[in-house]
Amino acid sequence: MEAKRPLLLRLVEDYWGVLLLLIAWELWVIANRFNPIVMPTPTAVLNDLVSYPQVYLRNVGITLLVAVFGLVVGMLVGTGLAVAAWFSPIAAGLLNPLTVLFSSVPVVALIPVIARLLGYDTSTVLAIVVIITFFPSFVFASSGLRSPPPGAEDLFRVLGASRLAVLARLALPSAMPNLAIAFKLAAAHAILAAMVAEFLMGTTGLGYLFAKTKSDFQTEQAFGASLVATVISAAAFLAAGWVEKKVRERYA
Amino acid sequence: MKQTFLGALGIAIFLAAWEVIGRTRLLGISWPPLSDVLEMLGDPGRLPLFERALGATLQSTALGYLWGTAAGLVLAAVAHLAPPLRRGSDRLAAVLNSVPSIALGPIFLVVLTRESTPAAVSSIHVFFIVFVSVSSGLQRATPAHRDLFSVLGADRLRRFWRLELPAAVPSLVSGLRLAWPAALIGAIIGEWFGAPRGIGILIINAMQNFQIVLLWCAVLLAVGTSLFFYGLLTLLERAAYSKFG
Repeated sequence: MEAKRPLLLRLVEDYWGVLLLLIAWELWVIANRFNPIVMPTPTAVLNDLVSYPQVYLRNVGITLLVAVFGLVVGMLVGTGLAVAAWFSPIAAGLLNPLTVLFSSVPVVALIPVIARLLGYDTSTVLAIVVIITFFPSFVFASSGLRSPPPGAEDLFRVLGASRLAVLARLALPSAMPNLAIAFKLAAAHAILAAMVAEFLMGTTGLGYLFAKTKSDFQTEQAFGASLVATVISAAAFLAAGWVEKKVRERYA
Repeated sequence: MKQTFLGALGIAIFLAAWEVIGRTRLLGISWPPLSDVLEMLGDPGRLPLFERALGATLQSTALGYLWGTAAGLVLAAVAHLAPPLRRGSDRLAAVLNSVPSIALGPIFLVVLTRESTPAAVSSIHVFFIVFVSVSSGLQRATPAHRDLFSVLGADRLRRFWRLELPAAVPSLVSGLRLAWPAALIGAIIGEWFGAPRGIGILIINAMQNFQIVLLWCAVLLAVGTSLFFYGLLTLLERAAYSKFG
């Protein structure tokens, strides 16, 4: 347990990089006398954020909902397929190279293809988030399921446990830390992927807000949308890191 | 042997399903048969178009990859050598990684030129992955090794160059492998903001003009390039692990 540090010191110690970046941005815009249409200052962006909360809140709600729902479905499908591969060596043999292949694919390049297939609406955004979160959860769940503590699998076999019992009592619990890593990787990306998809298709949510305000020269609001997305995504990353730590303490 | 066979079978089933779905128009006209896409890719008349686009994207990706790796290495080293800066640089990296890449585009467009925006977006993606992998790699040297170096009179900097940096090479190389697809994605997104040519431009134009087969060609080019370099980097990773691991 570390001693409580004063708030200001903690702020500077933890966020000196971010603060430096924001100050440099502010000074750079003022020094160059940029038109706010081209490049607003961070204070102007913040001001816009406070002035029109309802615009942001509505779009954040949509994007967040799609991202969370997609994250859950993607992780369930990924873990489910990993369990299928764990049960059957044939399924594992068929699936493994394909997932390695796909996990090295730039998924953003697939967005236009998926949009053409499913149409330009929210279900496409959802599909993209599912695909993005599916790969890490499948890859990490597979390797977690196959690495129980040494000797444990023999013990289960000696005690006559069924395959299902081994899965529920041994393989799944030992895969939990790995799943938590997959969750951490996927959580931050889910919201960003949703935003790129919304931006490309111009449907709803934060990405749409960004695209629309950018083309209407409301640059402050466009950057406001990005700022909100940055904060949510960073918070998701840090929160998922905390969940990962808890899971590791519980299961490892 | 059996695994290799099953793997090849899995990929073959996937490709066959692609062709059948395309031929039977099961998913509508947006899903062309594989053979049509390959035919267009092999068409000599279109070769200059693909060559120009791929060349531009590869150049941006390579530049972003180099810059991002350098920045990630330097920040990780600085944070490692100056512990008070460590927490702040972790947060900075996490926040930078959380900035939506579509927001990075317009920012770099003001700071840089249209031509160098793709490389800049790509470098941010690479920076985060390299920073995270190097930071954890630098901590891999065991306390026993560290003590030995201290006892033998090595100063902080010498210990860094001779012990900690070599110990971080395997995780650096793993990071480099994972960073490649991310670099390519960054370059493609960066190109959407007015780059004169590139795979990203090809994808956007084909998507907006309903040139379905051309769209798939561009996607296949991106995927193929990604896989090729990913494979190369996997080989490099194996070599690094057997030498430094």
